[in-house]
Amino acid sequence: MKRGAVFLLCLAWLFVTLFPIYWALVTSFKPPPAVNGGPTYLPWIDFQPTLQAWIDAFSGIRGDFVRPFVNSTLIGLSATVLAVAFGSMAAYALVRYTFRVRLLAGVLFALLGIGGFLLFRDLGLSRADSLGAAFVLALAASILANRLPLPGPVLGNNDVVFWFLSQRMFPPIVTAFALYLLYSEIGREGVKALDTFWGMTFCYTAFSLPIVVWLMRDFFQALPVEIEEAALVDDVPRIRIFLEIVVPMARPGIVATAMITLGFVWNEFLFALLLTTSDWQTLPIFLSGQNSYRGDEWWAISAAAMIAIAPMMVMAVLLARLMRSGLVLGGIR
Amino acid sequence: MARVSLKGVVKRYGAATVIPRLDLDIEDREFVVLVGPSGCGKTTTLRMIAGLEPVSEGTIRIGDRDVTDLRPGLRNCSMVFQSYALYPHMTVRDNIGYGMRVRGESRARIESKIAEAARILGLEPYLDRRPKHLSGGQRQRVAIGRAIVRNPDVFLFDEPLSNLDAKLRIEMRTEIKNLHRRLESTVVYVTHDQVEAMTLADRVVVMNSGVIEQIADPITLYEKPANMFVAAFIGAPSMNFLAVRLTGDAVELADGTRLPVPQERAAALAGFNGRSVMLGLRPEHMAGGEKGPAVVTLVPRTIEPLGPHTLVIGELAGTRITAQVDARFPCRPDEPTRITFDMNQMHVFDRETGKTL
Ligand SMILES: Nc1ncnc2c1ncn2[C@@H]1O[C@H](COP(=O)(O)OP(=O)(O)OP(=O)(O)O)[C@@H](O)[C@H]1O
Ligand SMILES: [Mg+2]
Repeated sequence: MKRGAVFLLCLAWLFVTLFPIYWALVTSFKPPPAVNGGPTYLPWIDFQPTLQAWIDAFSGIRGDFVRPFVNSTLIGLSATVLAVAFGSMAAYALVRYTFRVRLLAGVLFALLGIGGFLLFRDLGLSRADSLGAAFVLALAASILANRLPLPGPVLGNNDVVFWFLSQRMFPPIVTAFALYLLYSEIGREGVKALDTFWGMTFCYTAFSLPIVVWLMRDFFQALPVEIEEAALVDDVPRIRIFLEIVVPMARPGIVATAMITLGFVWNEFLFALLLTTSDWQTLPIFLSGQNSYRGDEWWAISAAAMIAIAPMMVMAVLLARLMRSGLVLGGIR
Repeated sequence: MARVSLKGVVKRYGAATVIPRLDLDIEDREFVVLVGPSGCGKTTTLRMIAGLEPVSEGTIRIGDRDVTDLRPGLRNCSMVFQSYALYPHMTVRDNIGYGMRVRGESRARIESKIAEAARILGLEPYLDRRPKHLSGGQRQRVAIGRAIVRNPDVFLFDEPLSNLDAKLRIEMRTEIKNLHRRLESTVVYVTHDQVEAMTLADRVVVMNSGVIEQIADPITLYEKPANMFVAAFIGAPSMNFLAVRLTGDAVELADGTRLPVPQERAAALAGFNGRSVMLGLRPEHMAGGEKGPAVVTLVPRTIEPLGPHTLVIGELAGTRITAQVDARFPCRPDEPTRITFDMNQMHVFDRETGKTL
């Protein structure tokens, strides 16, 4: 009885999640009259399916489809690789080492960073130079200050992780605008960052790092520490322990994290909207452009949407398989 | 191969002092076992020797080197963990050879050392398997193999057998003892199992709350325990303790029973006449029936036949007593029975300090 109710609920939920996909799929095969003349649901019964929307999409009538697809793939893959690589290292360090950051040293960093920048600029240095100089000064001073027995709270590893995560807690538009300003400033200094591969890769790497650190920390925490200690006693350097022992042991976790990250980056809209214009436009931007390209041609938009989500669907299936085979969580031992 | 010496070693975790002050000298090629109840600091001590845990105070020397501030890899120790700690993604061969590969030893040398270790430990058929596909005993052997190819100065074992079943544990115990004889290396071995400690050790270190209670060879530990803790910890079933009063040539139990004390023991204890002390007597130094001068009446509560002999558990002068009697000694629960104490084997402890008198 109870099982039956749960089953029904699951079915209902399945319907809710699957219906939009089904709708987009059938719409992409509809001829225009079947869209404009009120809802039609079943191919061959309600309407006669046609491949016209798909033919149009692939022949490039509706704008170059291939380019944003390639862009999204390149940017997505490189940002994922970078974020997972650096994020895993950070997560590992946060699991195996104890960090103690004095709050005052952190405040000192912020003060010296901002104040130093203003000071150096007023002294006549170029903006880039004063930024660099202020950063080095603030970093050196705060590291030294952290050694002193300063009063005030001392932050530990959990605080560092929270700080990472907190970057994902405020509305992304805040970061997006800041990044836009930063990129255009950098552009004015002569290094083009807006609408470039590296600009997008960098911003998505930074955007993904908090999630990667947070996910990978759990995976590393689940690893038995004795295995690494055995290697330490055997005089294996830390970096080799990480690369040759920890990474293989955490591989299922790394794969899962990479897929989740790729999913985020693939679907990301806001940053791409602000930071790209033409050359490195990604799929989501291109898709939203479809809407106004020739009016609301839903069959064409649906075909485009299906193409955009296809890689993610393949990945979701792979991830589900990985989880089912117990690789993700029970992978050790 | 080398001596290990810990001088004035203190270990604190924050405000908690786990090891107040520890001095321990381990001779070259000696097999030393650290034993004690759970949480007494055995693992901590071992990990400080390995360098996995920094000391709060004091110095640790291995051979003629002061290793106190050396990182684990430079101390030339090998450690075998309770959980085996094998590299799960590597075959047995790679598990054993990994350390040598990292140190950049030649391929031929690595191969020959793996082959030798596999031969000694009977691992040849499993060399290409992953740890996942090995039994507990085989995994433990791989862990030991990984330790011996290092030619370490010191072997450190942390309860290596406690995840094995009883039968395998006894087998591996013998193997480890043989291995020690063959490798002629210094071994520090941690266990909470006193039988394992007694059977393996040249010398046993009995620890309690971070303090060494006694260091001695197994027989001395059994015959001349330094205090009540050691007396109770070593031997199974545990030693019986009775509050008694010394009265010259006898001891008097709380219920008034007088047990005559042999001449020379009485002479040695003459200085404590009239004092209240703790009498300690092991179950195996008791016998059923009236076989000597010191006889008590015990009311058995439980009778445990073990085959070679039987344990009678009952109450005497308000204290629980376990006596070991012949297998066929006639006694039944709740029927008072006569038990003889072998007073030559008695131990006498100070009631306040627990020290042997
Ligand atoms: N990281 C730590 N922080 C605080 N206290 C600790 C830490 N590690 C161990 N201790 C404490 O130190 C004491 C000794 O621990 P240790 O692991 O050495 O015991 P042990 O003798 O090996 O016990 P067992 O037989 O259960 O393994 C314990 O009371 C334990 O609670
Ligand atoms: Mg322990």
